[in-house]
Amino acid sequence: MSLRTELGQEREIIGTLQPAIHSPQNWNYEVTGPLYRAYMHPPHDVGGQFDVSIEHEEKEEEQWELNTYVTCEVLAWRGIWSAEERRRRADNDLGYTMYLGMPYYGRWIWSAAKMLVDKKHISLTELMDKVAEVKSRYEE
Amino acid sequence: MKSRTLEKTQNNIGVHEEHPLGVQPRFKVGDRVQVRDMPYLFYTRSQMWARGVVGTIAALTYSDLVPEDEAFNVDGRVEQYYIVRFRQKDVWPEYPFDNDSVQTESPERWLEAA
Repeated sequence: MSLRTELGQEREIIGTLQPAIHSPQNWNYEVTGPLYRAYMHPPHDVGGQFDVSIEHEEKEEEQWELNTYVTCEVLAWRGIWSAEERRRRADNDLGYTMYLGMPYYGRWIWSAAKMLVDKKHISLTELMDKVAEVKSRYEE
Repeated sequence: MKSRTLEKTQNNIGVHEEHPLGVQPRFKVGDRVQVRDMPYLFYTRSQMWARGVVGTIAALTYSDLVPEDEAFNVDGRVEQYYIVRFRQKDVWPEYPFDNDSVQTESPERWLEAA
């Protein structure tokens, strides 16, 4: 598949994420109080919300999940962040769509990478180059 | 994070509490409290389902930083934490059983006397 075709498909997926409240939104100036609160509500506060039933499965952590856990703990051990900051970043800052859509440890590693960039431990260009390099290695 | 001087005491449910010197708990076991409806602003661990509900202090747990500060690396205010007990029916009006309760933990700033 060509890059342009792939990007086209990507745009279609993004389009399906956008109308998350099922009515057109486009940088509204008129945001009602209740809607404002709904936007500001922290995504991880799900208690009491209705949900569809899900199948319970016994699943062991995968290696990347264990690696993620250890990486995040070591960053805390070395004083780079705390568990509370990780929670804030991984459960709130990434927003509803990603909070609900990403795997649990996917959110952890997303927040660790973002934190390291935010705090200038690594630059975004450095991280971008590294991810591209690793990606191309796996594509060979 | 700066170190704090702690004294250990034991509360009525056998939990060892750590009181940084100088933190005076505002509530005691049995007090009626209402969970405040603070603005949603970037982070909290206080649950929406408990907002506005009146409950009872079931235990004093420990004192520590509040999540809203710690989440942004602010090494600030240390507060008393409590276990608050609510009637399930007060939280979910359609709940079918009168005697069931639900408990959650809350730092002091989220509670006011009811």
